[in-house]
Amino acid sequence: MSFLEIKQANVGFGPVSNRTEVLSDINLKVEENEFVAVIGFSGAGKSTLMNLLAGLQRPDQGSVTVKGQLVKEPGPHLGLMFQNYSLLPWLSVFENIELAVKTVFPKLSKSERRENIMHYIDMVKLTPAAEKKPHELSGGMRQRASLARTLSLQPEVLLLDEPLSALDALTRSELQDQILNIWEKDKRTVVMITNDVDEAVLMADRIIPLTIGPQATLAEEFRVNMERPRDRHTLNDHPEFMRLKAEITSFMMGLNKESKANANSSSTSMPDIKPKDFSLPSARLDFRNRKAKPSGSRSVA
Amino acid sequence: MSQKGSDKFKYGLLKAIDVSGFKVFDPVVRLIFAEEPRKQIQDIAKYMLLPIIFCLVCFFMWDIIGPRHKTKSGEVPSPGKVLEAAKDATRFKQREGEKEAAFVAEGKDREALLADSKKKLTEFEEKTAELQELSAAAAKSGQNKIDASLNPIKEKYDTLKAKYKTAQTERKEAISTLADQFANKQASKDELIAAMEEDSLQKESEKEELKVLSQQLDDIRANPPKEIKEAQLAANKAADEVQHYKKVIDILTTGNREVKKNALLEKAEKAEAALTVATTGAEAQKQAKAVVSNKDKAGKADEQKFPKAATIYWQTYRSLATVFVGFLIAVLVAVPVGIMCGLNRIVMACLTPIISIFRPVSPVVWLLIFQIIVGAFFPDPDKHWLFQTMNESKLLPGFIHNLQVNPAMIFSACTVAMCALWPALVNTALGVSSIDKDHLNVAKVLRLGFWSRLFKIIIPASLPLVFAGLRISLGVGWMVLIAAEALSSSDGLGKYVWDEYQNGSSQSFANIILACFVVGIIGFFLDRIMIMLQKLVSFDDGSATA
Amino acid sequence: MKTHKILRTIIGLGMLGATSVSAEQLDVEKDELKFGFIKLTDCAPIVIAKEKGFFEAEGLQVEVIAQPNWKQLLDNVITGELDGAHMLSGQPIAATIGFGTKSHIVTPYTLDLNGNGITVSNAIWEQMQENDPTLDTDTPKHPIPATSLKPIVDAAKEDGKKLPMGMVFPVSTHNYEIRYWLAAANIHPGMYTSTDLKGFTNGDIELSTTPPPQMPATLESGKNVAYCVGEPWNQQAVAKGIGVPVTTNYDIWKNNPEKVFGVTKAWADENPNTLIAVTKALIKAGKWLDATDASGKLINREEACRILSQPNYVGADYDVIKNSMTGFFYFQKTDKREMPDFNVFFKYHATYPHYSDGVWFLTQMRRWGQITEPKPASWYKEIAEKVYLPEVYKKAAAMLIEEGSITKDEIPAADYDGYKAPTKDFIDGIEYDGKKPIEYLNSHKIGNKDDPSLSAK
Repeated sequence: MSFLEIKQANVGFGPVSNRTEVLSDINLKVEENEFVAVIGFSGAGKSTLMNLLAGLQRPDQGSVTVKGQLVKEPGPHLGLMFQNYSLLPWLSVFENIELAVKTVFPKLSKSERRENIMHYIDMVKLTPAAEKKPHELSGGMRQRASLARTLSLQPEVLLLDEPLSALDALTRSELQDQILNIWEKDKRTVVMITNDVDEAVLMADRIIPLTIGPQATLAEEFRVNMERPRDRHTLNDHPEFMRLKAEITSFMMGLNKESKANANSSSTSMPDIKPKDFSLPSARLDFRNRKAKPSGSRSVA
Repeated sequence: MSQKGSDKFKYGLLKAIDVSGFKVFDPVVRLIFAEEPRKQIQDIAKYMLLPIIFCLVCFFMWDIIGPRHKTKSGEVPSPGKVLEAAKDATRFKQREGEKEAAFVAEGKDREALLADSKKKLTEFEEKTAELQELSAAAAKSGQNKIDASLNPIKEKYDTLKAKYKTAQTERKEAISTLADQFANKQASKDELIAAMEEDSLQKESEKEELKVLSQQLDDIRANPPKEIKEAQLAANKAADEVQHYKKVIDILTTGNREVKKNALLEKAEKAEAALTVATTGAEAQKQAKAVVSNKDKAGKADEQKFPKAATIYWQTYRSLATVFVGFLIAVLVAVPVGIMCGLNRIVMACLTPIISIFRPVSPVVWLLIFQIIVGAFFPDPDKHWLFQTMNESKLLPGFIHNLQVNPAMIFSACTVAMCALWPALVNTALGVSSIDKDHLNVAKVLRLGFWSRLFKIIIPASLPLVFAGLRISLGVGWMVLIAAEALSSSDGLGKYVWDEYQNGSSQSFANIILACFVVGIIGFFLDRIMIMLQKLVSFDDGSATA
Repeated sequence: MKTHKILRTIIGLGMLGATSVSAEQLDVEKDELKFGFIKLTDCAPIVIAKEKGFFEAEGLQVEVIAQPNWKQLLDNVITGELDGAHMLSGQPIAATIGFGTKSHIVTPYTLDLNGNGITVSNAIWEQMQENDPTLDTDTPKHPIPATSLKPIVDAAKEDGKKLPMGMVFPVSTHNYEIRYWLAAANIHPGMYTSTDLKGFTNGDIELSTTPPPQMPATLESGKNVAYCVGEPWNQQAVAKGIGVPVTTNYDIWKNNPEKVFGVTKAWADENPNTLIAVTKALIKAGKWLDATDASGKLINREEACRILSQPNYVGADYDVIKNSMTGFFYFQKTDKREMPDFNVFFKYHATYPHYSDGVWFLTQMRRWGQITEPKPASWYKEIAEKVYLPEVYKKAAAMLIEEGSITKDEIPAADYDGYKAPTKDFIDGIEYDGKKPIEYLNSHKIGNKDDPSLSAK
């Protein structure tokens, strides 16, 4: 039995008569201390998948288990790190973490608690900013604070929900390194959701693509057989890296095309009315062309 | 080091004016610290000087246009008149203070005050005599002026009237002869009708002409030369002072607390002396009773307070206290209920009809309802524990006794609370229900209990919106209060305005405008205080304050 | 009679005590009092008693508080927020019989006589002058009846309109006076019924309530074409040139009672000595207000006006108050007449609470349907005796005579039964005898009439 397991999970919303299946037939097994990346387009249902894992949402069918135990509700052992930090803005970095530590480890003495908190702040290199409020921090610093808070829960599973997608490229790579560092020092099970192929290949042991919703499901996995620690500077020349990247990208593009085709076939037919155009000829825009632009291209490119 | 210190001071100051909502002064502070002087001077010119100039222009226009707009209740007072009214209001307050001082003064103080008041009395008596003479002279010369312009028109009016009267009688006679002729078949029907028509037309035009003249006469009578009124007012003012000092002397000599007490004690002593030589039982009983009752009265006299007339200062103080109490009630009700609404959709659904129906109800209606309801709780207000504690308890400081809490104040406060409730309630509910889902997820992940979720996540997260609601509430409350006071005769600025309106004196209009400024300025500061609080609880850099 | 016995005993005791008792303060139950008033010049006795120290001389500290309207004033007295107040004569009676707010209110003191006027708008005045050419002078002959108004009312009625008129309060003297004036000229002012509490039923005109300070404004805007109100609101209309006072209530009923000082029965029972002390102070104030010199000039009125013009009292301009209180009345800007009795505060035994005054108000309430059921004559007497407290007045007066503040002839004789002699001093000359309310009711052409047999019951 795997450490973390999803069995034939289905998630949908809406009334029975008009139900939209977001995820269908999801099966996932993650071994202890494994680093798994789930990659998918925006809107594919990645966050729903993450909610399932964190216990924030329960599947309509199927089950989610951790160490064989059914996940019924969220808890500190499922350390979820949110996409948009979700630090409490009225508390300083220290206080944000303090709230977590106080709740999860109420028996710690005051000095132990403090030490504990400072340890995690130190781990993400935020010691100088410990007393600052979130709005005084940069995006990267906020994400690090959020990471520190998640780590301070000492979770059995670390769930990273597109942790770095809102950051600029430089900060992003810096944080990737940090997360990897921490993970290597203090091994635990990690599920990361991302839309960045490079990031997935760099960080994960396995990469599992999520097909495009509705009825998104997990596709065939890609195993990353590269030795650790991985060095991002030499990685670009690594043949395995190049191969995986190309393969995954082309697989994802294929998914995208397929879904487009599906979407077109299922689109409702519009009445044959041409809107009258009152604008000047020079200002006329070609609506059809604009519409045809692929919407998911940004994330894969 | 000192450079750094001054920088710190500068930024502290800048932050303070930002938080207090006086960002206008930002460039001034920066200019003092010589930061980009050019830019600051430009900013000051744009955002401070221009508004000041604009306000001055407005005042100037008011000064010019106001007195030109003549209403039947007198002209619109100019800024000068309003200032004058403010001064008079202050003088009125001083007078009440002097009277109270005269009432409580003891021993040497009393004598000194008496001497002083007597001096002032003679001073003002002389002044009054002088001014009254001037006023009489002004009235005389003014009357001459009026007569000069009135008499020619009056003469014209009288002669015309007499002329038309005779003309009318003549025409009447002519018509009646014509009618007789018609009866004798000497005149035609048309002739008679034509004469009739002619007569009514003539009558109409004559009336019209007379009306124009009488209108002119009325206008002249209605607008006597200003000097008369002014001289009269000046004389009246001095005479008011005379009246006042007479009253002060009166209080000092007979009404004074100590004087009264001593007189009563003296009586008691006399009675006691009489008691010792009393020979009959009845006499002894009578004298003993006199001793006791006079001593008792002396004791009571010692505790008497001087019943001061309400001044605008006191009314303002009381209004502020009332609005504070009302606002407090509103907060205590609205915030918990709002949180419940925001947390639970069922509660929200239950309360929505109530909120929707009662929110638009006019404060006037609430006032009447509360007047009836609250009144029922205090069948005998003088003896009710609440008012006895608030107004007499030795435990409470004087400034609370000073409020003279009464049922009218309570139901005014309730009205304020009722009307101020809604913005706070709705905003709180909105604030709670629109908390970032991630914050709630944090609570879920941490498995926080209900209370810690409430106090650690929900309340802090919704505070900015709650305070935005409270700010609206306080503004509404202050507006409602003035109306409520005017209607309920609960002492306060509203009652002041209403009383002035009822007074209808030459200064009432100016006093009403004075009250308008007082209300406005206080409202402004209340709003600033709320902005300040709102900024202090906001975490997203004050963007919630508009 | 019982009361006389008591009175005699009191006087007897006074004689025994001789000088030592005189100027002795009563043992008052309550020494800090709050009295309410409406900003009208006839609140003068209360204000004067305070300002001239008459209350203080009785050991009372009195606060005098302006009230926004009559209803609120009465409510504040009933709830106990005020100890007593300046009231319309009809108010204690109406409250006691339960027309409007029900509460047993009593009065030991009548504040003044006369003091009201009826003002019509300029347009109506012109038409009245047309209908009656004798009015078309600067100084028309008084009293002016409403006969010349009748054709105007009729013409408006033919057009389907009822002329709107204003009075102060449903149970105010003003309401009864303007109704009396109109009815005397055969204009039906409208009846109150159990369902019509506005008193419009069958009326030729519509008479509605307007607060006094708004009266001139309503006349100007045409909301009212005539109104009946106290001073200074008639003089105000003249000063502003928007209307013409056609008559004063002195002409409608010579020396009619106007305002009273009212307290609740419960308060009177609880504070009997305080009530006597207050009455004493008020009598002194009334006397002070009506004091004249040898030539008959009112000597204290100017000072009274000065005091009343303070913003916390009446607050109007000194000159305006002076105009109405010093014995003159402007009917037009050109028509200033001497009205020495326009405000009577003391003479003619004005301050005594006459039962016959109460009965008159009751007859008017019955006449216009405010009292919906016919009542026997005995009921009128009973109610008047319930509301008016001559005993208190007599006690206070006896003490004042003792102190030498007033003389015996300034109050009614000891055997006076509270009913004024029958009088015909009305604009229509109908005789009023307080002992015969049913006959009086039936002697009017317009208004409710009751079964004559009730007079014996």
